[in-house]
Amino acid sequence: MSEHNKRPLKVALHGMDVRSCKTMMMFLQGPCKGAATVVNENDADVDIFDGDAPVSKNLLSQHLQTERQKPTIVLSLQDFTHDGALQVRKPVKTDDMLSVLREAKILLAEFAKKKAQKQAAPAMATAVAGEAEEEEETGVEPQPLKTYVLDQSERKKTSKHQTAMRFDEKGFQAYIGSLPDIDVNDPAQFAQASYDPKDYFQGYIQSAFMVCRAKGQILQLQSGWKPIMIFPHTHEVWLDADDPQLRAFAGIKLNPNSASKMSISPANAQTMGLGGSLDKFQSMDAFLWKLACWTSKGRYPHMIDYTQPVYLKNWPNFTRLLITPHALRIAALMMQGPRTLTNIAQVLNIKPQYVFVFASAAHSLGLMGQVKREADNLVQPPEVKPSKGQGLLSRIMNKLRG
Amino acid sequence: MSQYKIIFTGPVGAGKTTAIHSISDVPPVKTDALASDMTKSRKAATTVAMDYGVMNLSDGEKIHLYGTPGQERFDFMWDILINGGIGLILLLDNTRADPFKDMKFFMDSFGDFISKTSVAIGVTQMDLSTKPTIADYHTQFQASGLKPPIFAVDARVRNDVSLLVQSLLYSLDPGLAE
Repeated sequence: MSEHNKRPLKVALHGMDVRSCKTMMMFLQGPCKGAATVVNENDADVDIFDGDAPVSKNLLSQHLQTERQKPTIVLSLQDFTHDGALQVRKPVKTDDMLSVLREAKILLAEFAKKKAQKQAAPAMATAVAGEAEEEEETGVEPQPLKTYVLDQSERKKTSKHQTAMRFDEKGFQAYIGSLPDIDVNDPAQFAQASYDPKDYFQGYIQSAFMVCRAKGQILQLQSGWKPIMIFPHTHEVWLDADDPQLRAFAGIKLNPNSASKMSISPANAQTMGLGGSLDKFQSMDAFLWKLACWTSKGRYPHMIDYTQPVYLKNWPNFTRLLITPHALRIAALMMQGPRTLTNIAQVLNIKPQYVFVFASAAHSLGLMGQVKREADNLVQPPEVKPSKGQGLLSRIMNKLRG
Repeated sequence: MSQYKIIFTGPVGAGKTTAIHSISDVPPVKTDALASDMTKSRKAATTVAMDYGVMNLSDGEKIHLYGTPGQERFDFMWDILINGGIGLILLLDNTRADPFKDMKFFMDSFGDFISKTSVAIGVTQMDLSTKPTIADYHTQFQASGLKPPIFAVDARVRNDVSLLVQSLLYSLDPGLAE
């Protein structure tokens, strides 16, 4: 651990909008390796001002007119000189900031020394108080400085949102496993290629999510396996298990005995002691999506009639989900209009199992449903014609997929 | 040889320059300058002309990646930029005061282009501001009948930008092989 991290400077940010503040917090935490941490104005060792925006300029000007008890750092595009104020030129560079923070530390020690001297001389302190009173009497009321405090919960979120993991056909089969007793790609077996999520862990998770959202309360699902905490306000779950463990559990059909061990109860995240294992948080959608993929193993949910058209409400947020083979193509095709699962496989010339697994995942999030309107059954889905620039688009696609 | 382009647009600070940098084969040409107006409160330097990057395809063809300047006073350039464009990538900054207003502005401004091609929307800064959610963005489109791909995107992550562009291409032609 660096010297900075051992004793980070406590800084207050002034005159910055929310985004600038959060960017600065992340900058101090990340590139500056925790050399400083953002706190309330009253707890701060150092004040940092934006020296350019008109509002913050006023705040800075007022601040510099007062007797300062701690170092001031000004971030500005142009040269800024004021006795005792330190400057970092924009765009702020890590080395510059670290160097100025080191100077601020030295200044802080000097301020502390001066303060100690003042306390030793009460007469002088009285004079200072008198000055302050005089200032109040003149009616110059200092404008309250806008101060931002680091949101501890936001700081801890960095590991939660992972970019999408994508599989091609070969990798996916090995990853998701297969079913020994059925060939889901055989049209003669389509009718049997369904599963009921309620028979699996997926069903219990979906029910728990519904209860949790309805109650708006943090709940814990006990399953006889590992407890899962559900946070409805941040749309997150906490589970102390890695993906291979979850994948294995997802594929087990639960018997009535296992089901009787399921229970859901209110929970308190603080008393659960989750603070040290924040990397185990995941978004509810990403969690349920992959759970449905692993439960499906290439089957479709039994609530869907594979002979009738289904619709896709909107594109799934693919950058934060497990991407099954051909998922983007399936989504793009379904956005053009409702189709049956088998028609999608036929039009895209892909194995039905990839459509079925996509249907399972999308259905679990409520993105896919069976069409109910008569017209959707009457009208034939539009024909997919190759675009004029298909060759070019394919080459771009190959390039992007590396 | 034809000039094929993918256009990146969106408000100031949405990550257009960064996104182009993420997928370009050459260091992007940036035309940033010190911000001197309201832009300055959001970022020190901003794009005053356009950003440019290139994707070199296997057959020697090039796909030009153009980023529009985020400031509205440069919107006269947009018509020039979109000529020959394959489609539009709209990046929205979720920390802005009203991202829906931004979305409407850019969807309206590029309405003709989108109707002839397609659009994919990337929402950036969602780690800093979780609201509005991606579902909220989709809701905004309900009345229009449009259903574009809308993804949470970290413009610094190539995979995120790549998936967004892929969704644009599949929107144009779902028949494209993987």
